[in-house]
Parts: sequence; structure tokens; C-alpha cells
Amino acid sequence: MKAMVCRAWGDPDTLRLDEVDRPPLNPDQVRLRIHACGVNFADTLIVAGKYQVKPAFPFTPGFEAAGEIIEIGEAVTQIRPHLHRGQRVFAYMRRGGGYAEEAVVNAAALVPIPEAMDWATAGGFPIAYSTSHYALVHRARLQAGETLLVLGAAGGVGLSAIEIGKQLGARVIAAAGGPEKLAVAQAHGADDAIDYQHESIRDRVRELTDGRGADVVYDPVGGDAFDQALRAVNWGARMLIIGFAAGRIQAVPANLVLVKGISIVGVDRGAESQRNPGLIAEGFTELLRWWEAGRLKPVVGKTFPLAEAGAAMEALLSRRYPGKIVVEV
Amino acid sequence: MKAMLCREWGEPGILRLGELDRRPLQPHEARIRVHAAGVNFADSLMVAGKYQVKPAFPFIPGLEAAGEIIELGAAVRHLKPGQRVLAVLRNGGGYAEEIALNAEAVVPIPDGMDFVTAASFPVAYGTAHFALTHRGHLQPGETLLVLGAAGGVGLTAVEIGKQLGARVIAAAGSADKLAVARAHGADELIDYRQESIRDRVRELTAGRGADVVFDPVGGDAFDQALRAVNWEARMLVIGFAAGQIQAVPANLILVKNISVIGVVWGAQAERDPVLVSRNLAELLRWWETGRLKPEVARSFPLAEAGAALEALLSRRYAGKIVLEA
Repeated sequence: MKAMVCRAWGDPDTLRLDEVDRPPLNPDQVRLRIHACGVNFADTLIVAGKYQVKPAFPFTPGFEAAGEIIEIGEAVTQIRPHLHRGQRVFAYMRRGGGYAEEAVVNAAALVPIPEAMDWATAGGFPIAYSTSHYALVHRARLQAGETLLVLGAAGGVGLSAIEIGKQLGARVIAAAGGPEKLAVAQAHGADDAIDYQHESIRDRVRELTDGRGADVVYDPVGGDAFDQALRAVNWGARMLIIGFAAGRIQAVPANLVLVKGISIVGVDRGAESQRNPGLIAEGFTELLRWWEAGRLKPVVGKTFPLAEAGAAMEALLSRRYPGKIVVEV
Repeated sequence: MKAMLCREWGEPGILRLGELDRRPLQPHEARIRVHAAGVNFADSLMVAGKYQVKPAFPFIPGLEAAGEIIELGAAVRHLKPGQRVLAVLRNGGGYAEEIALNAEAVVPIPDGMDFVTAASFPVAYGTAHFALTHRGHLQPGETLLVLGAAGGVGLTAVEIGKQLGARVIAAAGSADKLAVARAHGADELIDYRQESIRDRVRELTAGRGADVVFDPVGGDAFDQALRAVNWEARMLVIGFAAGQIQAVPANLILVKNISVIGVVWGAQAERDPVLVSRNLAELLRWWETGRLKPEVARSFPLAEAGAALEALLSRRYAGKIVLEA
């Protein structure tokens, strides 16, 4: 089968489309014919050798995919009796392998998708929405009426945080770089917008909240944006650390955490789905119910064919596109 | 009435005994004749101008006191004149012969509890209990690492950790201090002048790390503990008694789903004095049943409050330091 293969640490253009053997199917796994694979910031890190997990060479990146079941392991009926060949599903793939025509996935990780959900949307859905759901519902316990500040608000994971924040009844302040991105954020429900190319996050959040500050901060960006947000949070705020897309890992001064009774909360949803798969699965149930009710509107900013997965990753790094970048197979 | 006054920011020696008029009592307030006042690390910060609460000069330090009620505002229903009580003083005032305050921050004490013990009680037990239950959600069977385990608030964290069913690892800076921590229930001991907190905690937990860290020390001790915590650990930032404020690398927080949680019990007391008083009443009931054993290291007369603060800062003593008025 064809797959994009990484044989050395490097930039996205390091990947090559190769003919590779089909991976073996374990009894508790399912083989998928992949139709679409979501591109994530972590893909660029893993190819660069900068991710917390470093697979052996050669490996195929890609942490989420949508496709149909073409083969079922013999033990799967005990775990997931209702799975069947031809079923349309998506999956978070902790061990990677999404940038390929086929992949093997643990049956426990599969989520059946509605007929009405197209492949590109499905391929880009799992990581963004379940990360935001897990972070806002379980880690931050965002309450109705609270103020949620979303940094990187027009990115794949940022837009999903805006939508889920609104579903939970919060007031959402979106912070992003530039008016086009903020327009997308507002189209997805953000109540207020901050352009951090021209404005101070710290000053604007304080203004927008009569000096009180945000109650929850959703931060996939890190660095300076986090530092500013830290100075515009309310007593008892929860700052969710999702990632460091801006490239600088911030060091958090503990005295600022102390004086306002703040919680700095690390969110590694990938590891959580391994330890607590039931929790993540429940999240998908709620998320797909919201999607079917029209309350979530996933954005696919651009798609690329499998052979251009490297260009897809570069498009993600360019920050030019809102929403998700998806590779179509 | 006499009180220790701070007229400018400085070292503990800057405090002077002064004479002040009583101020009139508001309808919701109580006036207490103070018999004893607790001495806390935060008092030295307030006197140095480094605390988040900065009262106008001249101010009276002291975040906790015990005594009897000598006057009540007309709207106060739940207290009686002559009642023996403790008081939580978010904005100071304890280093004095009398204190007037919101009656919601006043809690009756058991007949069997003397005033010195009562004055040593609220900040240390209130902070540890609030931190470990409300902020840390410490569960039975979890492993709690207490840094500065022989200090005023460290010992109470050891005791409350045991009451909550945790396994408690106490880290302190000498064998004598660790012996006190052991006497208050600690299961394991780490002497951080001789041993690496990081390595010992990993050994003691078969590599998994601690589930909750109670940290009044900060600095290097925190940095080491951060590298010896379990998945979804809760690191409770209580203070920086070591004098260094750590900067926490956010990637280390991310990869283990850790929470770094700031705990300001005093601010909680200000926002919700009724809840805090209720929790203190509960803790006093634990004391009555013998589950808590407050450790008072030394007392000083009110006029020697400066020396009392210096004694606290010397780190020579295990447990609380108290003033007697």
C-alpha cells in the first residue's frame, strides 16, 4: 500500500511517498481503508524529532484518520460487537500511521460517524474536538456564565474550543492574528475578538471583563500570548496548556499562580485517551450529537492529496488557513 | 490598647510597641481581648512590604489570634460575650491586646483548648485542609509529598494528609525536623540537605512519583518535586519560604497532565468567611477527638514580636511560633 514515510528527522519535505507492506493486524485491531487524515501540529514535531515520542525509522506520521473498516481482528467482537466491514469511522491513532492508504487501529479507539459527515470533515474531527471537549469539560470544568479566552482561536483546535465554549454557556473571547482569522472565529460563535498582531491581549481582556480577567484560558499557542493571558485572569482561573504552536515554551512564574489562586493545567489528551478511553469515548458521543444538531461547524481550511502531505504540513505551519488542514487519500 | 506597629517596611526589628485607641465597633463585628497570636511567614512578608496585602501605615501584623469576646456589634447573633474564640485576620491585627473584626471570621474554641494552641491553629490547619481537599482533591491511597514538612503549615499538611488516607512522604532539612514530621504521622522521610528529593520520591514510589505535592518552600525543592510526580499530579503552591520563586517550564506541566495550583487560604477566607469558619469548626472537632496534635515550638511575649519573627525566619524550630499578650 502507499504511505508517506519519514526516514530521517527533518522538515516536512523530508517525507516520501513509498510503497510499503500492509501492517499486520492484531486480534484486537481493525484495518481501515483511509479516506482522509487530519494534519496536526504534532506531526511537524514528530517529523522534526522534537515530539515527546520518537518512533523508530521508518515511520508514517498522522494521528487521526477517517475511513471504512475493511478487516476485523478475531478478538474484536468481544470488545466492540457492533463493528462491521464497510462501516464508516474515525479514530485517534496514538501510534500514528494516518498518512497512508490503510492503517490498523485498536478497535477500542474507533468512533462510528454519521452518514452525513463527509470524509474530509471526519478526518479532521477527532483530535481538535476531543481535545477541546476533554480540556474544557473535564480539566477546566468551564461553567455557564464564565469567560473563556481562546488563544490561536482560528486554528484547528482553537475553533473547536470556541464552539464547545459556547455550547457550555460561556462568554468567549477569541484571540488570533489578523482580521480574517478573527472573522472566522466570530462566525463560529466568539463574542469578542482580539487581534494580537495589533493589540495587547492583557489590556483588551481586562477591558472586556471590567478588570476582572478571564476565568478559563485555552492555550495552544504558548510563549508571549500565554504570558499576557496570565496577567489578565480572574481569581481562581484555570489556564489550560494545550501546546506551544508559537514555538516558545513559557516558564510560568509561580508567584503569579499563587496570588490569584490560579491553576495551570496541562492537557495531554492523547495520553488521557490511553489511560481513560471511556472518558474520551463519552466525549465523542456528546460531540457527534452536537454535530448532528448543527451546533458544531468543523472547518476544513484546505485539503491536499496524500503525495503532498509535506506541503499540507507546511500549509499548517504557515498559519495561513483557518480550521484544519486535511490530507485526502 | 497596646499593639506591635509597623510604620515602614523593613526587617522584623522595625516593629515597635505602641499604644492605640480602640475604634468603634460596627454592627456586624466582634471585639476580642487577645491572649495569643500566631506568627506566620507571611507576617515577615507583610512587614517587608512584599505581601499581596499591603495595609496602610501604621499597621499591626498578625493573621490569627485567640482570646475572649469583650464586645459584640448589635447585629451579631451567633456569639456571646466572654466566649472563648479564635479569629482569622486576613488584613492583619493579631499582634495586639485587642482586635475588632467581622464576626463571621470568629470561631468558638473547645473548652479544653488553651489560647496558645488556639492561636496556632487556623492558618496552618485551615491552609493545609483547604489545599489538600478543595484544591488538591487528595484521595485515599494516593501519595502526598510535603516539602518543608516540619514547618508550621508543613506539619499540619502531614497530619491532614494522614487523616485523608494518603501515604505521606515528608521532606525537611534536618534529622531533628524529620523526627518531628514522623511523630506527626509521616510514613517516609527525605532529608533534602543530604538527598535528592527527585531521586528519593521516585524510589519510594517505584518510579511513579507523588500524586499531590504540598509546597510552602518553592525554588529548587519545587523544581525537584516537579520531576518526581505522577500522571495528573496536583502541585499545590503554598509559598516560597526558601526565598526563591520558581519559574515552571510549561512543557513539563503538559506531558503528564499535571496541575500547578496556587493556594491562598487567606483570600478564600476573605471571599467566603462563612465557609472557612465552618471548615475550621470541623477541624476543631477533629482536634477534640485527638486526630490533630498542634505543635507549638515556642512562645514570645507580645513586645518581642520582632524576635519571634526572626526565630521563625531562622528555621531553627519545628512547628508554630506564638505571641502571648
